[in-house]
Amino acid sequence: MSAILEVSDLRKAYAGVHALDGVSFAVEAGSITGLIGPNGSGKSTAIDCISGFQKLDGGKVVLAGQDITGRVAHHIARTGLMRTFQTVRIYERLSLRDNLAIANQQFDAANWLDELLRTRRYRDAVEAAEKRARQLVELIGLQRYWEIETGILSYGQKKLVALAAALMPHPKVVVLDEPVAGVNPSRIREIEAALGELNRAGETFLIVEHNVEFITNLCHRVIVLDQGRKLAEGTAAAIHTDPRVLEAYLGMTPEMAEAEMRGAA
Amino acid sequence: MTVDATYLVQLTLNGIALGLLYALIAVGLSLIFGVMEIINFAHGELLMLGAFAMAFVLPVTGLLYWPALAAAILAIMLVGWAVYEVLLVRLRTDEFERSILITLGLSIILIHLMQYFFTATPRLVDTQYGFNGVEIGSIRITWTRVIGAGAALAAFAGLYLVLRYTQFGRAMRAIAQNREAALMVGIRPRVVARNAVVLAAGLCGLAGAAIAPIQLVTPYMGQFLIFKAFALVIIGGLGNIPGAIAAAIGLGLIESWIGGFFEIAWQEGAVFVIMIVVLFLRPDGLFKKGGMRVG
Amino acid sequence: MKLLAAPLASMVAALLLAALPLVTSSNYVIGIGLSALIFTVAAAALNLIYGYTGLLSFAQLGFWGIGGYATALTVVTFGGNFWWGLLWAALVNAVLAIVVGYPTLRTNRHAFVIVTLTFALLVTLIARDWVSLTRGPLGIPNLPAPEAFGHRFAGTAQFYWVAWAFSVAMLGFLYALCSSRIGRTLVAIKQNEPLVRAQGIAPVPYKLAAFAISAAITGAAGGVYCFHLGIIDPLFLDFYYMQTFLIIVIIGGAGSFWGVVVAGVVMSALPELLRFSEDLRMVIYGAILVVAMFVMPSGVAGWLRERQLLRMREHVR
Repeated sequence: MSAILEVSDLRKAYAGVHALDGVSFAVEAGSITGLIGPNGSGKSTAIDCISGFQKLDGGKVVLAGQDITGRVAHHIARTGLMRTFQTVRIYERLSLRDNLAIANQQFDAANWLDELLRTRRYRDAVEAAEKRARQLVELIGLQRYWEIETGILSYGQKKLVALAAALMPHPKVVVLDEPVAGVNPSRIREIEAALGELNRAGETFLIVEHNVEFITNLCHRVIVLDQGRKLAEGTAAAIHTDPRVLEAYLGMTPEMAEAEMRGAA
Repeated sequence: MTVDATYLVQLTLNGIALGLLYALIAVGLSLIFGVMEIINFAHGELLMLGAFAMAFVLPVTGLLYWPALAAAILAIMLVGWAVYEVLLVRLRTDEFERSILITLGLSIILIHLMQYFFTATPRLVDTQYGFNGVEIGSIRITWTRVIGAGAALAAFAGLYLVLRYTQFGRAMRAIAQNREAALMVGIRPRVVARNAVVLAAGLCGLAGAAIAPIQLVTPYMGQFLIFKAFALVIIGGLGNIPGAIAAAIGLGLIESWIGGFFEIAWQEGAVFVIMIVVLFLRPDGLFKKGGMRVG
Repeated sequence: MKLLAAPLASMVAALLLAALPLVTSSNYVIGIGLSALIFTVAAAALNLIYGYTGLLSFAQLGFWGIGGYATALTVVTFGGNFWWGLLWAALVNAVLAIVVGYPTLRTNRHAFVIVTLTFALLVTLIARDWVSLTRGPLGIPNLPAPEAFGHRFAGTAQFYWVAWAFSVAMLGFLYALCSSRIGRTLVAIKQNEPLVRAQGIAPVPYKLAAFAISAAITGAAGGVYCFHLGIIDPLFLDFYYMQTFLIIVIIGGAGSFWGVVVAGVVMSALPELLRFSEDLRMVIYGAILVVAMFVMPSGVAGWLRERQLLRMREHVR
C-alpha cells in the first residue's frame, strides 16, 4: 500500500502558542487512520490546515502526489479531499436529495452553460449523481427522508447526512471531524458498521475522534497528538498499551484503562 | 494658481467642524454595532429629530442656546430608549439584515410623519448668537460653529471617560470584545444594549441640535448624513470608535478641501472612492477591527 | 402535476396581462399594469441577490438609476436606439457590480450592505451634480418612443407591450437561473458557506455573478421604466423605488421565486387603491416593513412553507 495523503512538519501558532509544532504522518490508501489526542492537542487545527480552512505557518501537505500546501479549501476539495465538520454542517433548508446533489456537482462534466440550458450532459450528470445518492442514502438508512428538508432530522441523522455528502464524489480521502461526538450509542454502532463497509469497498478515511472504543474498533492505524506534537503512532492495540499515551490522553495507568475498556464493552 | 493661506485655513477649520459632526453620528453607529452587531438605519432620523427639537425649543427658551441644546439631547435620548424597548430589543445579534430592514422601516415612518405634519419646507433656526462670530485675523467663524465643535469635543471626552472608567462603560466594552465571556461574568446584555442605544441617541441628538442653527432643517436632512456615517464606520473598522472618529475628521477635511477647489460632485464622491480603496487595501477597515477600543 | 402547476399558471397569467390594453383604454390603469411588470422584474432581480444569495444589496437603486440614464443618454446624446440603450444599461451595470462587488465581497456581509447603500447615494449625487452629462436636476425630458420593425411604440398602451415582452423575457431567464443548479448553489452558499467550500465550490464567483446579473436586469428595467415616464431626472433615484423593491421581496418571501412575482404584481397595484397623501402612503409602507419583519420575516411564501414543514414533521415522526 502507498500513502494517499502525506503531511510533513505541519506548523501553526496562534499568538505565540504552538497549536502544531512539527507534525508529520501519512494516510495509506484504503485504510482507516485515527487521529486522537486530548483537547487542545492540535487535532482539529491539523485537519483544518490540511483541508485549507486555516493557513499553515509551515510544513507540506501532499495528496495523491500533488502538493496542496496552502491551497484554498475549495481547491483542495476538488483535488479529492472531502471533510465533515465537528459542529455538523448540512444545508438544513434543502432536501436530503439536494444536499447530496450539491456535494457532487463540482465533480461532474456539466458546466454552467449546460446547467442553464439543461443539456444532455447536464441530465446525464444529474442522473449519475442521483444514483450514487440513492445508494448512499440506503447505506445510512434514511430513504424515507429523501425529499424532506434535512433540518427536521435528529442530530445523529444529520451527522450521517454530512458523512454521505462527503462520500458523494468518490473522494480520495474522507476526513471526518468527530463523526460520533454527541451521537447516541446505538447509532454509533450503525455508523461504525457503515464506515467499515465503505472502507472494505475501498474508501480511505482519516478520523478525528474522542471515542476511544470507536477508534479502536475501526482504525488500522492511530496517531496520537499532544500539545501540537506527535506523541505516538501505531496499531490501535499498540497505542492502547503505550504508557505515554495513557498518561497524556487518558490520564490513567494501563490497569485503569483496561478496567475502563471492560466496563465499556 | 496661488493658494490663499487664509482661504486654506478657513477650509481646514470648516473641515474640522464638519468632521466632528460626522464623528458624532459615526460613533453612535459604531457603539451600537459594537454591542449589538446591528446597524441602526434610522440613526440619521434621530439627528433630524434632534434638529427639529432644537428648532421647537429655542423659541420657548427665548432663543437661549444651552437650555435648548440640553432639552433636545434629552428628548432624543428618550426617543432612543423607546426605539430600543419597542423594536431593537427583539433582535438577536446574528440578525444584521433584519435589523437594517426594521430600522429602515422606522426611518421611512419618521421622515414621512415629520413631513406630513411639518411639511418639507426648510426651516431656518435662529439662536441668541445669530450670525455673530469670532474673528482671528482675516478668518471668521460663527459662534454656533465654534460651540458645535466644542460640544462635540466635550462629548467625545465624556464618552471616553464613561467607556473607560464607569461600570457601565466597562460592561459595554466587555460585551463588544467577547459576548460569551461577558455573559458568564453576569453582565446583562439587555441593559448594556439599552444603555448603548440611549447613549448613541444622545450623541445624535447633540449633533442634530448643534447642526440646526448652521444648516437648514428639513425632514430629509438625516438621510444625506447617514450614508456618509455608514461609509465612515466601514472605513474606520466596524465597531471601532477611535477609528470612526479619525475617519470622520479626515473625511471632513478632505471634503472641505475638495469643495474649496473642485466641483461639488467630487466632494460628495470622495467618501465612496475612499471607502472602496480602503476595502481593497484593508478589508477590515483602516484601523484594526474587533472589540470596542477606547484610546 | 404539482411541478407543472406554477409555470403553467404563470403562463396563463402572463397572457392575461398581455391582454390588458385590449380590455381597458384607460392610460392610468395600463400605466399601473406597466409599473407592476417593471417593479416585479426589479424585485425579482433583488430576490436573486438577497433572497437566494443572502446579500442585502441597496445598490439596486443605483443600478436602476444608472440603467435609466444609460438608456436615455444612448438615445438622446449618443444617437443610438432604445434597444442598444437597454443593452448598454445592462452592460455598464454588470461591470460596475463586479468593480464594486469584488473588493466588498472579500470582507463580510455587513460591509456589503453598507457599501451598496453608499453606492446608491453616490449615484444619486452624481445624477444631480454631474450636470454636463446628466443635465443635473432638470433631467432629460421628451424621451422618444422606441421603434422596432418599422413600428413606433408611442403612447402608454403601445409601450405596454414593450414592457410586457421585456418582463416576460427577464422573469423567464431569472426563473431558469433560480431553478437550475446555479440557483440551488446560491441558496447553499447562503445557508452554509464553509460547507460549500468544503465541497469544492468557490463561493465568490457565484456571488459576483449573481450580483452582476441582478445589476444588469435592474438596470435594463430602469431603462424601460424611464421611457415609460418619458423623462429621467434625479427623482428617478428616489429611495422610494428601493423601498418598493424591498417590500415586494420581503412580503412575497425572500428566496421564493413565485412568491416575489405574485407580491410584485399585487403590491404595485395596491398603493394605487390606497388614495392617501403621498406621505401617509409612505408611512404605511414603513409600517408594513416593520410589522412584516416581526410577524413573518420570510414573507407569505416562507410562512406557507413553514406550515407545510410542520405538517411534514408530524407526518414523519
